[in-house]
Amino acid sequence: MARLVLDEICKGWDFPVLDRLSLTVEEGEFFVIVGPSGIGKTTLLRCVAGLERLDAGRVFIGDRDATTIKPYRRGVAMTFESYALYPHLSVYENIASPLRARRLPKATIDRTVASVAALLKIDHLLDRRPHEVSGGQKQRTALGRTLVAQPDIFLLDEPISHLDAKIRHELRRQFHTLEELRRVATLYVTHDYSEALSLGDRIGVMGKGGLIQVGSPRDVFENPADLFAARVLGQPSINEFQAMIERDANGIHVSVADGAIRFPPAGLHASVLGRRQDMGIAVGMRPQHLSVLPEGVEAHRPTVTGSVDVYEALGATGVLIAKVGDQQMTVITPPEAHYQPGEPVRIALDRDHFLYFDRGDGRNLMVGPH
Amino acid sequence: MATSRTTASAGQPNYRLIRYVLLAFLVIWLVFTLFPLYFAVITALKPVEEINRMVPTFWPETFRIDNFSGIFADPGSLKSLIDSIIIASANTALSLVLGTLAGYALARYLRGALGENLAFFILSQRMFPPVAILIPIFFLFDATPWGTDSYITLILLYLVFNMPLATWLMMVFFRDAPKELEEAAYLDGYTPLRAFFKVTLPLVVPGMISVAMLCWIFAWNEYLFANLLTGTTVKTFPVHIPTFVAGSQTLWNFVMAFSLVAMLPPVILFIILRRYMVRGLSLGVVKG
Amino acid sequence: MVGIPILVIVLIVIYPTIWMFYHAFHDTNMMSLFRQDWQPVGFQNFEAVLSSERFLNSLWHLAIYLTFGACLQVILGTILALILYESVKTGWMRVVLLIIMVLPMMLPPSITGILWRFLLQASNGAVNHILLNVGILEGTERIDWFSVDLSLWSLVIADTWQWTALPLLIVFSGRVSLPPAVYEAAKVDGASGYQVMRRLTLPMLREIIAIAFILRFMDAYKFVDKVYVMTSGGPAQSSELPVYIAFQTGIREFQVGLAAGYAIIIFVGAALIITLFLQYLKRVMRNAGVVD
Repeated sequence: MARLVLDEICKGWDFPVLDRLSLTVEEGEFFVIVGPSGIGKTTLLRCVAGLERLDAGRVFIGDRDATTIKPYRRGVAMTFESYALYPHLSVYENIASPLRARRLPKATIDRTVASVAALLKIDHLLDRRPHEVSGGQKQRTALGRTLVAQPDIFLLDEPISHLDAKIRHELRRQFHTLEELRRVATLYVTHDYSEALSLGDRIGVMGKGGLIQVGSPRDVFENPADLFAARVLGQPSINEFQAMIERDANGIHVSVADGAIRFPPAGLHASVLGRRQDMGIAVGMRPQHLSVLPEGVEAHRPTVTGSVDVYEALGATGVLIAKVGDQQMTVITPPEAHYQPGEPVRIALDRDHFLYFDRGDGRNLMVGPH
Repeated sequence: MATSRTTASAGQPNYRLIRYVLLAFLVIWLVFTLFPLYFAVITALKPVEEINRMVPTFWPETFRIDNFSGIFADPGSLKSLIDSIIIASANTALSLVLGTLAGYALARYLRGALGENLAFFILSQRMFPPVAILIPIFFLFDATPWGTDSYITLILLYLVFNMPLATWLMMVFFRDAPKELEEAAYLDGYTPLRAFFKVTLPLVVPGMISVAMLCWIFAWNEYLFANLLTGTTVKTFPVHIPTFVAGSQTLWNFVMAFSLVAMLPPVILFIILRRYMVRGLSLGVVKG
Repeated sequence: MVGIPILVIVLIVIYPTIWMFYHAFHDTNMMSLFRQDWQPVGFQNFEAVLSSERFLNSLWHLAIYLTFGACLQVILGTILALILYESVKTGWMRVVLLIIMVLPMMLPPSITGILWRFLLQASNGAVNHILLNVGILEGTERIDWFSVDLSLWSLVIADTWQWTALPLLIVFSGRVSLPPAVYEAAKVDGASGYQVMRRLTLPMLREIIAIAFILRFMDAYKFVDKVYVMTSGGPAQSSELPVYIAFQTGIREFQVGLAAGYAIIIFVGAALIITLFLQYLKRVMRNAGVVD
C-alpha cells in the first residue's frame, strides 16, 4: 500500500518520449492516462515497472526510491497490452506465477488462485491453456495474475482495448467493482477517452513529451488545457475551425470561413476575447453542443445554415456531417432523425460550451492568465 | 459460349500432356532415388558369392538375413556404433548448450549493428571450408596429451560446424519468443535467471529439438575428419564400414547391412521430427 | 554468454587460421615441424600453387562440380518440389513421397560414396547391367565410370542423388507456407497454371530458393568426402578438387607450408563468396523477419 511519485522522469531514444514528467498517484487512486497511440504511454508504464532504465529523474514507491530497483523486486504488477500469458502454462499456472515466484506453500497458492479466479469468473477454465480461451478470458487471466501478486502499484496497459464492445463494457464495469484495485495506486493506460472518463479518479492527457493536463475527468473534458487535450477526449472528435475575432458597433463576433459561420460569443468568452490583440484564434465546438433545428422552430441561439454531407444513424444517436461554407461540421442528432445528403439544415450553436484556443501554441484562452 | 468451349477443350489436352510429363519426371526421380537404396537392401541380404558374380542379380537367389547379425561378429562394429553415439551425443549436448547461451545473448542483449554482424560472422563459420583449420588442428591436437586419436578431438572439432549453426538457429528461435513474456515473469517476481528457465527456455524447446537433431545427424554422419584424425583408439562407424574386407575383396553384404543399420537413427529422427528439421535446414527462414 | 562460443571459435577456428597464414609463408614440412625450425620463403608457396597445373585443373573440376553439383541440384530440387506440391494433393502421399526423396540425405556422405562406387563398378556393377538390360550397352561393352573422362561425373551423380533432397525439402516447405489467398485471387482472375507459376510462385519463392542455393553452393565448395571414398582424386588426378589436394599435401605428404598455401587460397576464395552471399542473406533474413 503506497503512493507512486514520479519526479521529472526522462526517457527517450532518438527523440524524447518522456520529458521531465512528474506525477503523483495517491494510494487508492485510479489514475487513467489517455492519449493517442504511439505517444509513449506504454513507455511510461515500463519506466514505472523498471523494464526501461530512466535517462533522468526518480521513481518513488511509498517512501522508497525505486529508481534503480530491479523490476522483480519493485512490487509492481502490470498487465501487458498483448496480455503476455505464458503459452506453455495453464490458466491456473499463469495466475499462480507470482505466488510461485515467492515460493509460497502450495495450499496458499491454491486458495489464492481459486478466490481470484472466482472473482474474475474464470474458475472453470483453470486447466486450459491460454490459446484455448477467448480474448476476454485471456484478459481476465492476465488481470488475475496481477491481482494475486498483491503489489503496491498496479499498471494496466490498454487492458480492454482489444476486446469486442460487449466484453469491454462488462470488464469496464468490473474495474469499478474490484476492491483490490481501490486499495493501491493504479496507473491505467488507454487510448479510449470513454474508458478514461468512466474509470479515472483523475485522468492525465498525454501528448508529446509528457502529460499535457491532469485533473478530474469532468474538468479535463470541459476545460481542456489546449487543443490537443480537446481532441483526445470525445468521440466524434471536436470540430475545429480557424476563426477571426471581428469587432463592430454591436460588439464582438467570431467569424469562420469568411463569415459562413458567424456568431457573437457568450458573455464570459466575449470579455476575454475582447481583450486580445491577436485577432486570429481557433474555435472548438463539440458535436454534442451543436444541434439541428427542425424546420419552422424559432432559434434561441445563433444558427448557421448548411447542407447534409453524410449522415450515420448509430442507434443511440446519429452523427451528421454538414457542409457549412467550405467547412465540415459534425453534429450529434437524436436517433429518430433522418437526413438525406444534400438536404439543407439549420444548425444551432450552443456557444456557452464553445472552446477558444490560441492559433499558435493551441492553449485554451479561457484557462489560466488572460 | 461455343467458342470459349472449343478453346478450352483445345487447351485441355495440352495441359494434360504437360501434367503427365511432369508426373513422369517425378516417378523417374523416385526410381532414381529408390533404386540404389533397394540395391543396398538386397545386397545386404545376399551371400558374398552371389554379389561377386559377373552378372548381378536384381533379386537375391539366396536370402542371408544373418548378414545383419554377421556384422557384429567383428567386435569393432558394435564399438564403432558406440563411439559414434558417444561423439555425436556429447558434441550435440555441447553445441546445444553453447548455442543456446550465445543465441540468447544475441537475441536479447546484442540487437544493434554489433550483434547482427557478430551473428552473421558466426553463421559464416558454418560455410567456410574446414581446409584452413584441419591441418593446424591436426598438429594442435597432436601436441595434447591425449593426441589426435581420441573422443575429445572429434567432440571439439565438430563444434566448428555445429556450434555456429546452433548459435544462429537458437538466436532465431529466441527472437521468436516474445520478450514481453520474460518481462511479465520479472514483474511476477522472477529473477532473470529463473525467468529464463521458467518462461523462455520452454518456449524454444521445439527449436532446441531441431538444433539437436541437425547437430546429431551431422556428427553421426561425419567421415572425413574422423578418418584423418582418428581410427585406432576411436573409430566411428563411417570409418569402420570400409574395413569390411577379406583380402582385397570388399564384403559388400556387410558394408550394405551395416550402412542400413547406421542409417536408421537419422531416418527415424527425420520421420518423427520432420517439421522441426526444415526450419533448421533453411537457417530459420522457412517456418515449416 | 556469447563469450564462450566466441572463445571456442577463436580457439578452433581463428587460431588455426592464423597458424595457416603464418605457415603459408614458410617452408614448413614434417621435419621442420618436428625440429621447430622453419624458414620464411615469401610468396613461394603461393607461386607454387598457382603455377601448378594440378591446381588449375582442380579449379576446372570445381567449376564443373559447382555448376552441376550445386546449381543443377537446386534447379532439380525446385522442379521436383513444385511438381510434388502441384500434382500430389493427398496429404499422406505427399509425406510418404517426401520422406522417400529425402532418404538419401540421411545416409552418411561417405557411405553414399561407397554405395555408388559399388553401383558403378565397371564389370558387374548394377548400373552397367541395367544399361545392358535396356539395350543401351551390348555384349561385353561396359562403361568405365571411374575412367579419366567420367570419374568426376560419377562424383556428380552420387552427390546429386544425395543432395537434391535439400533444396527439394526447403522449397517444398516454402511452397506449403505460401498464403493460399493469393492463389485463390489468381484463380478468380483466371490466370493460367503457367502464369501462376511464373508470376506468383517463383517470385514468392525466390528468396527461399536462394537460401537453398547458398547452402548447397557453400557445401559443394568445401565438398571432399566422396572424393576420398569414391575416386581418391583419380585416376590421374582427373577428379581432384582443390580442398582434396590441400588435405593430401598437408596430412598425407606433410608439406605443411605448401598445404597452407593451398588452404589460404581456398580460404580467400570462400571469404569472397561468403561476403557476397552474406550481403544477400542479410536482406533475405530481414524480409523473413529472422533478424531486424
